[in-house]
Amino acid sequence: MDNNHSVFIYEQCRFFSDAEFEDEDSNYYRDTDREAKRRRPKEKKTRERKEREKKRSAKNGESNGKAGNNVRGQPEEEQRGRKGRRRRGKEEEKAPVDGGDEEVDREVQKRRKTRGNRKATKHLKEEKEEENSNHKRQRPSKAEKDMKPSQRKTKKKEEDEPEKIDKGRKKRKVKVETSSESSDSSEEEESSEEEDGDDGEEGTEAVLGALTPEELEKLKEAVDERKKLIGTIRAKPWAMKKKLQTLRESQEFVEKYEGALGKGRGRKLYAYKVMMRKKWMKFQRDFENFKTACIPWEMKIKDIESHFGSSVASYFIFLRWMYGVNMILFGLTFGLVMVPEALMGRPYGSIPRKTVPRADEAGAMDFAVLWDFGGYAKYSVLFYGYYNNQRTIGWLKFRLPLSYFLVGVGIVAYSYMVVIRTMARNANEQGGGDETNYNFSWKLFTSWDYLIGNPETADNKFASITTSFKEAIVEEQESRKDDNIHLTRFLRVLANFLVLCCLAGSGYLIYFVVRRSQKFALDGLENYGWWERNEVNMVMSLLGMFCPMLFDVISSLENYHPRIALQWQLGRIFALFLGNLYTFIIALMDEINLKRKEEETVKFNMTAWQASLYNGTIGDNVTLSSITVDPADVPRGPCWETMVGQEFVRLIISDTMTTYVTLLIGDFLRALIVRFLNYCWCWDLEYGFPSYSEFDVSGNVLGLIFNQGMIWMGAFYAPCLPALNLLRLHVSMYLQCWAVMCCNVPQERVFKASGSNNFYMAMLLVILFLSTLPAIYTIVSIPPSFDCGPFSGKSRMFDVIQETLETDFPAWFGKVFSYASNPGLVLPFILLMVLAIYYLNSTSKSYKQANLDLKKKLQTQNEENKKKNKTAALKAANDLEEARNAVSLLQQQQSNNNASKQDDRRLDSSQQNRQQADNRPNYRETRHTAHPAKSHCGHSDPRRHIDRSPTPRRPGMSGYLPGLPHHPASKVPRHPHIHLQE
Amino acid sequence: MSVCVCVYVRVRMVSPAIALAFVPLLLTVLIRYRFHLVLLWRAVVLRCFYDWSSGLTREERAFEYVLTHATPGEPNSILDAFDAWCHSKEFISHIGPKKGVCILDRLVLETSPLCVLELGTHCGYSSVRIARVLPVGARLITVEMDERNANIAEKVIRLAGYDDDTVELRVGVSEEVIPRLREEMGVDRVDLVFMDHWKRCYLPDLQLLEASGLLGRGSVVLADNVLFPGAPHFLRYTRACGLYTLRIHRATLEYSPGIQDGMAQLEYIGVNVDT
Repeated sequence: MDNNHSVFIYEQCRFFSDAEFEDEDSNYYRDTDREAKRRRPKEKKTRERKEREKKRSAKNGESNGKAGNNVRGQPEEEQRGRKGRRRRGKEEEKAPVDGGDEEVDREVQKRRKTRGNRKATKHLKEEKEEENSNHKRQRPSKAEKDMKPSQRKTKKKEEDEPEKIDKGRKKRKVKVETSSESSDSSEEEESSEEEDGDDGEEGTEAVLGALTPEELEKLKEAVDERKKLIGTIRAKPWAMKKKLQTLRESQEFVEKYEGALGKGRGRKLYAYKVMMRKKWMKFQRDFENFKTACIPWEMKIKDIESHFGSSVASYFIFLRWMYGVNMILFGLTFGLVMVPEALMGRPYGSIPRKTVPRADEAGAMDFAVLWDFGGYAKYSVLFYGYYNNQRTIGWLKFRLPLSYFLVGVGIVAYSYMVVIRTMARNANEQGGGDETNYNFSWKLFTSWDYLIGNPETADNKFASITTSFKEAIVEEQESRKDDNIHLTRFLRVLANFLVLCCLAGSGYLIYFVVRRSQKFALDGLENYGWWERNEVNMVMSLLGMFCPMLFDVISSLENYHPRIALQWQLGRIFALFLGNLYTFIIALMDEINLKRKEEETVKFNMTAWQASLYNGTIGDNVTLSSITVDPADVPRGPCWETMVGQEFVRLIISDTMTTYVTLLIGDFLRALIVRFLNYCWCWDLEYGFPSYSEFDVSGNVLGLIFNQGMIWMGAFYAPCLPALNLLRLHVSMYLQCWAVMCCNVPQERVFKASGSNNFYMAMLLVILFLSTLPAIYTIVSIPPSFDCGPFSGKSRMFDVIQETLETDFPAWFGKVFSYASNPGLVLPFILLMVLAIYYLNSTSKSYKQANLDLKKKLQTQNEENKKKNKTAALKAANDLEEARNAVSLLQQQQSNNNASKQDDRRLDSSQQNRQQADNRPNYRETRHTAHPAKSHCGHSDPRRHIDRSPTPRRPGMSGYLPGLPHHPASKVPRHPHIHLQE
Repeated sequence: MSVCVCVYVRVRMVSPAIALAFVPLLLTVLIRYRFHLVLLWRAVVLRCFYDWSSGLTREERAFEYVLTHATPGEPNSILDAFDAWCHSKEFISHIGPKKGVCILDRLVLETSPLCVLELGTHCGYSSVRIARVLPVGARLITVEMDERNANIAEKVIRLAGYDDDTVELRVGVSEEVIPRLREEMGVDRVDLVFMDHWKRCYLPDLQLLEASGLLGRGSVVLADNVLFPGAPHFLRYTRACGLYTLRIHRATLEYSPGIQDGMAQLEYIGVNVDT
């Protein structure tokens, strides 16, 4: 029995937890409570009788869809017994429920008489509890639900004296219900207090065990009341202190007893369940946080955004994106080119191209040489020249030359794909959203995040909201500004002219430097110092650093909106960098040609050298392997590919260094000086002349973009470039984040950078295109060096594809490929693609147009509605005014008439009021529209008008917020309510 | 360009191309700080040159100009003469016409103070400006440290037609004058304090005023040039101490349109007794 009991209790708990989360309707509880009370006497009945009852209730429960638990939870022997009696039970169920109830009530009478004997044995108590909960489990039967309170009353009237207590209770309950309907919570509280007192009486009457059903009911009711109180406490006309106190008390109460409700021994289990639920929710929240934390640098960027605005943050987001792209590039080159060569290729020193030549061996390990990527660094997997032209390497038969070529192509292809895809996605985001309307309202009412629990975060949020307001205000100002248009035009033309001059100057300077460096190269670089050798890089870096500053100064002439100014600035710096880059490439091309000439001579000398090696046996078909020569001593060509790679790597390194040095000197040192020299300086350094620096978004973005362009250009000849870039991006992420937060100040004109992301992407695309051009040119048109790199010995680099097709694929594949590459097939295909693109483009345009139209339609509709509402409100206000006048007139008359009958005055006037309202429905309407909070007070009972003071509201009186029920505590006497109900 | 060549000649190792790469930086600095450079030229170089060539101080030269160009007894014409001189000839750092009209005059008219204390008379420009709009019966006490400047200021003020009762000039360091104001001048409360002397003295003088109890609730302190050349300590103190409500009027430096400057307007609210 005990075992069964515990199982049962478990079921009960399950039910309660379900009920609590699914159905919080208090009426439901009351009904079950009532029912339970009526069935209380059953403890005195015989066991069989009880079981029958139980089964009936189970049936009832089943009909309400709640019996599943019950049946499952029944002790087995009971179930077995039930199977036999099921039919009987069904028959019984068909009998009217009312009759059953009456029967029960009669039993109640009997038992009431012998109430003194209710100190039952423990066994009995348990049974009773079981049963009680069983009743509770079912919802009130339909018949009972349909029964009106009045019917109940009449039914009850037939009962004897002892039942009166119950009856009174019931009556009160009805009252409570009505009062709760009218949502007058103070009233409700009174009644609940009464009830509590009553409960107390009854409680003394009843025998109180820890688990008596009465107590449970009571508890449940109390908890329910508290819950309701918590829900409506906002609307109570109390002092805040009292409200808080009551809230705290009732919360404590609910927390304490909610778990205990009807639980008995299942209490622990319930508590456990609640705990688990809470834990689960907490876990979910933590998981969300974890997901956010997993986005790299998200918190840092948010931090920066909140302080510096979205434009600065957009740079960092771009940087992060770039980091992701470079990660893929690095994975490709590292995993498919560098690692296979290092693991499976021939080791260092085995062949001439993998060995440092004898002449350089002495200084090959010097730091200066390594820093210049000469010496051992040059003859390593980092550069093109190190790779062998063996078709397959290692036991895997890894086709390294093919892989090298495909990775080179794949990097570019992937970059194109990812840039275009991102652009498309950004364009999508831009299309939607109504950004112009109610901008400030949105910001004002919806920007705070109520989930913030951390004061620091709250500060950040505060800062970010302020910043966004600033942005919005600037935007609004810009949109309303109009100036002298001719002057601005002239100034803009002038500024562009100046910028063009500057660009031309810098282009000429770079050209000059490149020519000089060529002269140096012809003379031999060894005769010149570090300055001369690095002149090109230095000048390029310096120009890249200083010219944007000049552009910035010039652009202040133009008086653009900051976002447009930023775009102009970006365009100009773009032109500058592009000029620099292309000058550099042209110089490189010259150098390549020089190297190739050198290569010819080396080739010629090579044969002579071989001839000398074989003692003049020129033309003999003797293999080289017969004579062993140290690979370091073998003469070799200049290997222009490695030279190009080296140049790019050097450029990247010097660029990175310049960036960091600028950061440290221009930002950090300046900030230090400004901060600490300010204590002993004759003017204000912080506000005045040097001040702190602002974060230069455009310069940094372009630096990043051009850096990436160089990576794309050079990655084919120096597979280490993506790795280097990854390192650079990683460091600059941290360094710049730190520098921004520690030594920069937000721009004076903070602006929104919503549109600039795609602008960056567009520039990136252009740069990608421009940087792949020279790379493709060199790959396609210049034959590879004869003695270095994976393509040595071939006439062109892309021959490796053909070779693979011939040797590794079946013959038919090659044939198909040759057919497919037939211009007759390729041209129609391209044509088809162009057509498809055109079609898609036009459809997307039409969609956009439709979107815009819809938006416009919505807007006009809104406006129309607004207009309509306005006119309606105006009309209503007029009517209200009239009504007020009339009422005040009437009142005056009345006060004159009824001066003696002061007691009745209120009622009368309110009746007048009501008459008025009846005569003019419009008046009533206006009242309702004017104070929607009050509208629900009056509809159930017209006499409710009594509780309002008879004088109409003056216009000067303060209004109430809609939605909050208002309780005019000072003016409304409470007794009319009570009168009403009695 | 010549600068670059010079650099090249001196530092042999740096190539001319690298030196030329610094030209944009030079241009940037020149353009961005052109107003400061002009100010440097007018306030330092020209002044030294004229001091050397004429043997007079800057203030004496200004007074000569005013004497020859202004109508005696008319404060407005005297102010105009000063403005004209400062615009066209040299630079004197007194409150200019813009800040004077927009901030100082308006403030005096609004508060209509009965007792005004001015620290830093210089040539009496701002004294005349304040005295011009003072209510009847109010007095202005102005303090100047430099003897020669004080002589000129005295002349300027009397030239404008203000007698000793309205505008009273004290010669001495402000630190010494302020504590003695109560005994010697019979001042109980200062309604308006205008600070335009040494920027470093703003803070000690303000604290001295607080200590001597001359500031009452509603007294206004107006400090010029708090952003350029700037008085950071003063601003930091006034923000932090909680005795004042601070307002900073952003403006440009007098007679120089491109330099941002500000005036700090403090209203003394005193210690809050309620809290």
